Amino acid sequence: MKLVCLIALLIGSVTNLLAQVPNPAPSPWEQPAADLAEQVAAILGPGQAHLTIRNLSNLPTDQIPSIRHQLVQNLKSHGVLASGAESANAIRVTLSENSRERLWVAEIVEGDETRVAMVRVDPGEAQPPQSAAGLMLRKQTIFTTRETILAVLETPNGLVVVEPEEIVIFAHTADGWHEQKRVGFGQSRPLTRDPRASIYPSPDAGGFAAYAPGSACAGSYQPPPTSDWVIHCHDTDDPWPIIQSSTASNSAAMKAFYNTPRNYFTGVVTPGTALDLPPFYTAVPFPRANGTALLINGIDGKVQLAENSSLKTVTGTRDWGSDFASLHTGCGAGTQIIASSSGEALTDSLRAYELPALEAIPASATLTMDGTVTALWTAPEGSSALAVVRKQAGEGRADSYEVDRVKATCN
Amino acid sequence: MRWTVLRQLAISCLIALLAFPAAARTRPHYGGTLRVEVQGDGFESSNGLLWSLLMDGLTQIGADGNPKPALAVRWASENNDHRWQFWLRPGVQFTNGSPLTPASVVSSLEAPCRSNCPWTAVHAVGDSVVFTNDSPMPNLPSLLAGSQFLIHLTDAGDGKEPACCIGTGPFQFTDPAFLKTLAANPNYWGGRPFVDKVEVLTNKSFRDQWLDLSVGHADLVEVPAEQLRLAQQQHLTIIASPPVTLLALAVADSSVLANPSLRASIAFAVDRSALSNVIFQKQGEVTASLLPAALTGYAFLFPTDRDLNKAHGFRGGLNAPSLTLATDNNATMQLAAQRLALNLHEVGFNVQAANAATALHKDMALLEITLASSQPQPALESILRSVGVASPVIDNTPTGLYRAERDFLQTHTLIPLLYLPRAYAISGRVRDLRLSANGSPLLADVSLDDSQ
Repeated sequence: MKLVCLIALLIGSVTNLLAQVPNPAPSPWEQPAADLAEQVAAILGPGQAHLTIRNLSNLPTDQIPSIRHQLVQNLKSHGVLASGAESANAIRVTLSENSRERLWVAEIVEGDETRVAMVRVDPGEAQPPQSAAGLMLRKQTIFTTRETILAVLETPNGLVVVEPEEIVIFAHTADGWHEQKRVGFGQSRPLTRDPRASIYPSPDAGGFAAYAPGSACAGSYQPPPTSDWVIHCHDTDDPWPIIQSSTASNSAAMKAFYNTPRNYFTGVVTPGTALDLPPFYTAVPFPRANGTALLINGIDGKVQLAENSSLKTVTGTRDWGSDFASLHTGCGAGTQIIASSSGEALTDSLRAYELPALEAIPASATLTMDGTVTALWTAPEGSSALAVVRKQAGEGRADSYEVDRVKATCN
Repeated sequence: MRWTVLRQLAISCLIALLAFPAAARTRPHYGGTLRVEVQGDGFESSNGLLWSLLMDGLTQIGADGNPKPALAVRWASENNDHRWQFWLRPGVQFTNGSPLTPASVVSSLEAPCRSNCPWTAVHAVGDSVVFTNDSPMPNLPSLLAGSQFLIHLTDAGDGKEPACCIGTGPFQFTDPAFLKTLAANPNYWGGRPFVDKVEVLTNKSFRDQWLDLSVGHADLVEVPAEQLRLAQQQHLTIIASPPVTLLALAVADSSVLANPSLRASIAFAVDRSALSNVIFQKQGEVTASLLPAALTGYAFLFPTDRDLNKAHGFRGGLNAPSLTLATDNNATMQLAAQRLALNLHEVGFNVQAANAATALHKDMALLEITLASSQPQPALESILRSVGVASPVIDNTPTGLYRAERDFLQTHTLIPLLYLPRAYAISGRVRDLRLSANGSPLLADVSLDDSQ
């Protein structure tokens, strides 16, 4: 009896072990090899041919035996046998590529005649690793598109995306975001070359108010059975909110006039302040010992702190770009500034800074963004920032845009 | 004592510089004057710098090589691409204030190509323009982005054609009689350019352009492919395109070269490697295919090596009288033409290089053809159209494109030689310069660091 149990246990263990062995992932070369072999066989017909492979692409050489194996097997299934160099026929396969995709080319040589077969092969993509140290910034991509994104708002009823000429609503489904509605600004004025926008949740958090140069839109969600968005846009030069009220009303505590044909705020804010603010790209509230100050990035590149009726220059901002946001992390002083590195680099980065006095002190390692940060703002809940990143796809490919949520964790 | 004072002064200056709060790099600034110098007149037919500053097409080519909306906001084809309808962007004006209308677009498009247009008829329908053709036009949206189809005003309102170049582009001439300074178009539909003005100095030699750049009198100058290495050695800041200019030998299929064997002999006799290594300082991509390898991946199927045995074989005992090889009056092109003449002389051809502008008879011509798109299908059709082949390229598969190239190249009426990049050197104040699909600088996106 013990022996039977032992055998049963052994069989069970082996079965379990076998069940745990993962199925080998299908080779990415299976389909293109099958397609190319089929084309070659259609040209050559059953018989023998000498098969050679050369690699003119960036494909790692260790992949070539696998590709050769796939080709030989598939050719064999069509009656074409790979033979030695003495064969009268030859199949010269070149693993090539262009700026968009891989291209496998077979030259089929029969006597003096050479015929050609080709298949396209998906290039595939690799993901670079991320690492950080100190106060740790992490990013999570929440949306990707080929269209230009200016601003984004997540609502319980969908994702609201501001594009240069339109507001687009995306609904979340099991397989990702799906476009639900698209409404144009109906702008009568020309576009701007470096367009910007901002978007805020409505007081009930179900809708939104969006601002773009020369236009404003308000959207509200109609609950079921309608389940639709009602969006109204109009031409306006009304000021844009730059500080939201700390109360639950979600109203604006300060607004700033935007220079519609340009890419910056004029410096005129409402309600007015005792200070004459210079024209600026960005202004964010920042808590100080004696109240909330306004950290602004002037169009002359100077970062200044407006507090106690005076403007004070902030040093240590040499590597800051035009965009920054405040982040209530609860770490260190409680609130940090997260700043983009530069609007020029192809690979931008974000970094958190403390501002104990008038010098910005790095508080985190840089977080590589794999593209250029074109917009950065504090998310409505205050503890994360949202960044729009333009990713250059390289020659022959369109740029893509992604929205990343950036959070900081204390170390 | 004197050295001590100087040293202290230097240290003080250094400390002052370090203590001064450094300005952050910011979003692009508006304002300033961009100073550009070019060797030509800026209005060269295929790649003149000024065209795209002054005018727009119905479409433009995006970074991925696909057509994007420009003066047309959308388009649709019917009847298997035999009919295309393009809807115009509302509210666009020419820089003289005239509205852009379907009629003005039709009038502008009727002039440039006459019989060799990709369409047989174009007419206005409501707020759109409709193109029709007997053959399919699968690449029409891409072809309409070409410089020959940029939209300009043909009637100044008095029934006469305006003096020059009234378009809808990002810039406009400040004085049409003085074609040198262009001002930003404040009402440009794509957004006012960042710089206020572009000053274009034309007919400047490369040497003078580089000199002006080095002393701060120019912001953007040309770097010909053959001088890219020198520019790098001189630590110039260079923006270079992928290979976009096809250098090719056009061979007449009439008169003395009507015999295809003679043309085949010429094709096998040219020494592309020597041309690349000696004249173009290895900056070109040797090619025997019409499209560059980066677009297709199959360029290696067209052998580039010189084959004198085959050249002699095709030449055989055939007689060819003296041939004329015409090219631009440009020192590099003249050198290249002389080199090719030497190659052909080795196979028994007697070739005289001549200036294209003055030559009475041309058996061959050394051409520069600019790639119109980074998508292979419209790029190939554009190249074929530039040498008078009007049939559309319909098959978009790699095999179909290869066959279209192979069939045309077997006529040996156009012999591809090299693909060359277009390059520019810029001053330290120029920001965000990008190049279009055909290698032209996109000056409307440029901003200057010292502007506000």
